[in-house]
Amino acid sequence: MTWRDVIRLAARTVRRRPGRAVLTVLAVTLAAALLTALLTISTTAETRVLEQLSSGGPLAGIKVAAAAPDPGQVDQDNAAPGAAKALDDTALTQISDLPDVRDVVPIVSSKVYVITPARDRDNHRIGPFFEDLVGVDLTKVSQLPITPVAGRLPSPGATSEIAVTQGYLERLGLQRVDAPQVVGTPLQMATPQVVDDGGQFRIRGRWVKVTIVGVVAQEAGDGQFLASSEMVQQARDWARAGVNQSRDLQLSTSPYTGLFVVARGIDNVSKVRAQITAIGYSTSAPENLIASVRRYLHVVEIVLSSVGIIALVVAALGISNAMLAAVRERRREIGVLKAIGARDRDVYRVFLLEAGTLGFVGGVLGTIFGWAIAEVVGRVVNGYLAAQRLVGVKLTLPWPVVVGGIVGSTLLALLAGTLPAVRAARLPAREAVGGG
Amino acid sequence: MAAVAGASVEIRDLHHRFASRAGVVTVLDGLDLDVTAGGYVALVGASGAGKSTLLSVIGGLEPAQSGSVVIGGQDLGGLSRTDLATFRRETVGFVFQHFGLLEALTAAENIELACSLARVAPAARRAKVRELLEAVDLADRARHRPVQLSGGERQRVAIARALANGPSLVLADEPTGNLDDASTARVVALLESLPAEHGCTLVLGTHDLAIAERASRRLRLRGGRAVEETAPAAVNAIAGAAPTGPPGQQARR
Repeated sequence: MTWRDVIRLAARTVRRRPGRAVLTVLAVTLAAALLTALLTISTTAETRVLEQLSSGGPLAGIKVAAAAPDPGQVDQDNAAPGAAKALDDTALTQISDLPDVRDVVPIVSSKVYVITPARDRDNHRIGPFFEDLVGVDLTKVSQLPITPVAGRLPSPGATSEIAVTQGYLERLGLQRVDAPQVVGTPLQMATPQVVDDGGQFRIRGRWVKVTIVGVVAQEAGDGQFLASSEMVQQARDWARAGVNQSRDLQLSTSPYTGLFVVARGIDNVSKVRAQITAIGYSTSAPENLIASVRRYLHVVEIVLSSVGIIALVVAALGISNAMLAAVRERRREIGVLKAIGARDRDVYRVFLLEAGTLGFVGGVLGTIFGWAIAEVVGRVVNGYLAAQRLVGVKLTLPWPVVVGGIVGSTLLALLAGTLPAVRAARLPAREAVGGG
Repeated sequence: MAAVAGASVEIRDLHHRFASRAGVVTVLDGLDLDVTAGGYVALVGASGAGKSTLLSVIGGLEPAQSGSVVIGGQDLGGLSRTDLATFRRETVGFVFQHFGLLEALTAAENIELACSLARVAPAARRAKVRELLEAVDLADRARHRPVQLSGGERQRVAIARALANGPSLVLADEPTGNLDDASTARVVALLESLPAEHGCTLVLGTHDLAIAERASRRLRLRGGRAVEETAPAAVNAIAGAAPTGPPGQQARR
């Protein structure tokens, strides 16, 4: 009996018992759908992180400091000893030219004196305070560890718009959920300058009115205010135009406060860090955090896969049970097959193919259904992310999941069909005949 | 259709027992049987006399518990399961009371299945199916499933299937048991034509004496043995052999 004949006979026999076939296929479909949906969701989650790691972005970023390394930053800081070295355009060019560097974003900051009209929870006025104003090239914000929480980011080049961090909210006694309350609030900021007034030093300020346009979570630099690099540069220029600036106002002599270096993928972060250290700067990167996140995602994937596989195994047991029942019901038919010359292995192949057909059909339907479930889940997640002003996820159905779902279902069904097929093959040919 | 050489049947001292709740039941008890190649023998007997068991043993569906069974010169006792399958495929054609057609397949496909088991090439098997369906006058029913056929039509399809691989021995077990009179006559006529038209040996088990009387030889299974009921003259005429004992004695032909 050729395989073609076996396949045809198996397919016809499956079709002959549509009720049982549909129920059995349904079990496999649901299991394969569960497996596909779970794997698609977990793979999409991992892909989103890995995408950022592999194609650059905040997670593949390295913070370069002008200052000497901080020994307290164990495990993240590259604690190579050395004197502080200014971060200037030469350093920026040097680092940009490194082979595995995708982009370099300079970061500047300036000390500002802030007057806020806000009141705390007890309705007391918040007194004026000094804080750092961090400036970045806002056209490259996607490369930086900056995430909007409420409102929007300041416009690139704007000199009257700022965003505040959660630290500012805490200063006001607010929670993250209260972030929208501060959006639109005006602030007055003064950049101090030391002037020589007839032999006496006094401080004067350059006052600007700014509006809080958004709340962000940012790790580009230390400071509760984020603005365009142009705005901060103006403040720095004003402060540096004074006298004795570096001592009294602790102004940095470095043109840039720091650099945010984006490596070409997570695998290059260590190498780039070493190269930057060799140039003479201190670096830090969240490599250990990334590794932990990847491990966590991998564990989640294993757990979700296990749930799907358990469901598939249960479905396979259903196939086995249905096939065993079919063998019991079709004893005479099996006997007739043998009476007309079928060998044991012919009968074995027919029953095995029947089980395989159920598994294959269930696998195909389950993969399609699972993708649909993942789509629905993806839309719900994207709705949530949009509400959080975060970028949505793009659902990806990996080919290994498609192939694995279909091939896995088929193989499991074949495995489940082995026992019934063996039993069918071993049935004696006399089953074809009634009692004598 | 090309005629094939019929297979002779030689059975010696065949014993067969079944275990039942009531104890061991002896169905065949030292049965001897000889059927010449191309002969037509009817087995009669009461229900449970062992007709189906004997046909199963002759057709290789069931191994002989003791004694020897030689079909066409081939001793079935020494054959493996695979060899027995080959024997059934190449030598024997079965016709059952319950027709034994696969419900999932059409009439043509049921016949074709037997050919495919013998690995006949697709074109050849399609031609064979057409030829056999025409022979049983069911060419217009080729695409019908068994449930769409009458009992007589199903049995004619079963006969066509039995002839698919040119068997030298056709075994029919109560082939008219589920048929009305008109269908019975047609099926019996078809079966009776096989030895002459196809050259095969026909052994037919039935409890219908009217059918059995039309056979060349009639053997009654009684007490686990086959007893000749055919008139000696008729036996001689059919077998062309020396006369043996009178009706009622153990069959040796």
